[in-house]
Amino acid sequence: MNRLHGEYKQPGGKLVVVDLLVIDGRLCQVQLSGDFFLAPDEALGWLTDALEAQPADLALEPLAALLAAAAADAELLGVSPHGIATAVRRAIAAGAPDA
Amino acid sequence: MHDAERWRQWPWQVIHDAPRPPLLQMALDEALLAAVAAGRRPALLRLWEWSAPAVVIGRFQSLRNEVDAAAAARHGITVVRRITGGGAMFIEPGNTITYSLIAPDRLVRGMSAGESYAFLDAWALAALAALGVAAWYQPINDITSSAGKIGGAAQTRRAGAVLHHVTMAYDIDAARMLEVLRIGREKLSDKGTASAARRVDPLRRQTGLTRGQVMAQLAASFVGTTDATPTTLEPADLAAAEALVASKFATPEWLATLP
Repeated sequence: MNRLHGEYKQPGGKLVVVDLLVIDGRLCQVQLSGDFFLAPDEALGWLTDALEAQPADLALEPLAALLAAAAADAELLGVSPHGIATAVRRAIAAGAPDA
Repeated sequence: MHDAERWRQWPWQVIHDAPRPPLLQMALDEALLAAVAAGRRPALLRLWEWSAPAVVIGRFQSLRNEVDAAAAARHGITVVRRITGGGAMFIEPGNTITYSLIAPDRLVRGMSAGESYAFLDAWALAALAALGVAAWYQPINDITSSAGKIGGAAQTRRAGAVLHHVTMAYDIDAARMLEVLRIGREKLSDKGTASAARRVDPLRRQTGLTRGQVMAQLAASFVGTTDATPTTLEPADLAAAEALVASKFATPEWLATLP
């Protein structure tokens, strides 16, 4: 099973990197990383947990909404729910059969 | 409150520290942040000296995405993870200028994160200007001049205190840097240059001064802003940091928290 990799750099912002697996049509073993700033540190886990087990065909906007809800009590600097969702969609697209 | 008044809300100390190894540097930031947060230490500026080369990755970076571990090992470069976000840095002792500001976060009360970065380094940019380098903040956390990037900053906060640390390139071995850091294409997408090495333009070339002269100008500018008193680290600071090296920074769980 290949790990899928997606990146997105927000203009004027920071890089967000997503590594994940798609198993039975769902996201798993999601890792978010990058040179962004988050507070508190635990917010990275909140964002990652929000993505786990989501359907791989979930579109950009619902993904961004999930992430925004997960980060409601966090401060994000240089990265946004929409940016993370973009990196997730890029990772999934990179692993699509006809990609 | 005027900027000048913000800086003079309390007494400051300035520490031009002895050379320390990379893991201890990471731990000292955390230990001193805790000491200032608990009121055990006054606000301080610590000017670092590095005793060994390092790659320092950000709190939220993936170890393997950022670092070629084999190349780092081959060159005897320690890889460490710091407690602040931001990007990977390649450190060589004689080439690098690093400092940490640690203070009650009232210092930046009411500011956005972006405003606080520029405010906390205004004295440093003034020092560079005095050396003939017109540098400015490129949001969020880059310090740059028309000739190229000079350095970057990162912040974190704990229990009412703020840590703001900065690394600037005095000089750079760009070939070595590109051997050990993996700098991806997406990261360079909005930088307007194809060459990662050319993104950085070090202070040595821009000032023609020694590293010591640049450090001295930084210290003088900070003392001018704050009336800081020179001091040194206490044995208790070093003991707390050594304990954090053993319990946290030297562990694979911390370094590879994001493998």
